[in-house]
Amino acid sequence: MFLETKGLTKYFGGLAAVSQFDMWVNEGEIVGLIGPNGAGKTTLFNLMTGVIRLTKGQIIFDGKDITGKKPHQVAELGIGRTFQLNPLFANFTVLENVRASFHLHPRSSLLDIYFNTKKYRRNEAYILEQSLEILQLVGLDKVKDDLAKNLPHGYQKMLGMARALATKPRLLLLDEPLGGMNPDEIDFTKAAIKKTQQQGMTFVVVEHNMQIMDLCDRVVVINFGQKIAEGLPKEVRENKDVIQAYFGREHAA
Amino acid sequence: MSNNQLSASATSEPAIDKRKWLKPSILAGIVVLIALLPMIHGSNYIMHIFILTFIYIIAAVSLRTITISGQFPLAHAAFMGIGAYLAGMASKWLGWPSWLTIPSAAIVTAGIGMLIGYPFARLRALYYAMGSLFFGIGVIYIVYAGGIWSGGYAGLTAIGPLFPLGTSKIYYYYFFIGLTVVCLLALYRFEFCRIGTTLKAIAQSHLVASSVGINEGWYRILAVGVGCFFAGLAGASYAHYNMVLSPASFGFMATLWLVMYVLIGGIDSFAGPIIGTAILVLLPEFSRDLKVYSPFLSAVLLLIVVFLMPQGLVGLPRLIRSWYSERKKGKKIAHVSGN
Repeated sequence: MFLETKGLTKYFGGLAAVSQFDMWVNEGEIVGLIGPNGAGKTTLFNLMTGVIRLTKGQIIFDGKDITGKKPHQVAELGIGRTFQLNPLFANFTVLENVRASFHLHPRSSLLDIYFNTKKYRRNEAYILEQSLEILQLVGLDKVKDDLAKNLPHGYQKMLGMARALATKPRLLLLDEPLGGMNPDEIDFTKAAIKKTQQQGMTFVVVEHNMQIMDLCDRVVVINFGQKIAEGLPKEVRENKDVIQAYFGREHAA
Repeated sequence: MSNNQLSASATSEPAIDKRKWLKPSILAGIVVLIALLPMIHGSNYIMHIFILTFIYIIAAVSLRTITISGQFPLAHAAFMGIGAYLAGMASKWLGWPSWLTIPSAAIVTAGIGMLIGYPFARLRALYYAMGSLFFGIGVIYIVYAGGIWSGGYAGLTAIGPLFPLGTSKIYYYYFFIGLTVVCLLALYRFEFCRIGTTLKAIAQSHLVASSVGINEGWYRILAVGVGCFFAGLAGASYAHYNMVLSPASFGFMATLWLVMYVLIGGIDSFAGPIIGTAILVLLPEFSRDLKVYSPFLSAVLLLIVVFLMPQGLVGLPRLIRSWYSERKKGKKIAHVSGN
């Protein structure tokens, strides 16, 4: 198993935001993580990437226990992520955002950077080339010199993904990649995700928008911090508990 | 069409090359002019004021190095003081020569800064400012409590001079010009290589920065270390220049002045603190009357900058240009509607 969480539990005060959550992801899969507002999806991402500390449980990534690791260490191990509210390096251009995100691979030592050595210049040339490639993949190559804060919302979402790709991750956690996008952008994003998957990437995707379903190999449904269903998209869509969680009791009957 | 574009780019290339050298040559020209100043007006007093300006420029720009990482410490003069007192005491009690005390004081100041920066890297915004403020005040009390070793309230005297006693001030003048140029080049490189970019990225979003693998805490400590190194260097060289140290020169007011230099000059650009320091230190020297009111004047200047010039004095030309072009546009519209 590529990613596995065992008994993940997080209390905020007395409130269990996530409790006893088990899930697994195989390499190369796209796993959808869906659930109503406040179900604990983003909290799960924050737990997996070490942004918040978990109360109990264990997270295993590629055979390594990553429980309690800090965000930058998690990124170093190969987990990239995007954010729901999509913070950016707002005053950098699109290209600068991606270039600055190439922090891990290749990595130049502080002295190499400061003294502008051959190795550093070679790394920077490689980074520029790779950045442009990523921007082309996510369709932002035409706006690469625009300030990130001036981009329309959908583009900013794509920039978040570009930035995550710059860390050369093996697992990508996308937090609402389709949020606030128009139909064209949704199609484009889905195509980009699919293409990246074909290149060997594994995804966990948090999403409200049900259009993500036809992309997913498997879907995990969470409500009130607990897993209420999992399975193939089709199965989940017909699951009574899921319908009840989304639409209320009457519709489920 | 494509032919036109090609020829346009071919002709514009030398222009870009020229531009590349324009800025450095203007800057070199300014340095040469400052270096020639003693030939025109050779009074010791003027040279003294300029030397102080140079020292504060190093300190203010080193403060900027920390602020680009999104931290705003209120203890920078205290770090100057640490450097100054370390160098002063090493000179007075151990008899170390200044070429040894200045670099070692700077390194120790950087170390202290990083040690303090470690717990502080967890604090943000207001808490960071408060924490560093109390640290800065604490440093002064340590100096007070140091008794004979630090000179206490009376100040530390009999620090060895940079050059043998009786050396003309002009040597000091050129020494500090050289030191300032070297420090500014070093700090400029720090800001405009990938390290500085990473620091600026952290300042914009530490959440995103750590998600791409940037060890945010370590980089913040690094910025403090580098900033404190140059603050310590400025302080230590001041100690050997002045030969007398008083704790009050590194108190909270001194820190506030450094913050003012950065804010008034313009926090968004490297030149900001340099221009801010030069104006705020030199301007009051033109007349005694100005000097008396200089805190008041600076406060008014700060208010003007805060409300009218978000980019500081550095942004003034740009501001005037955009204001002018808008006015022109406005006139045009008025003209059209008048018809």
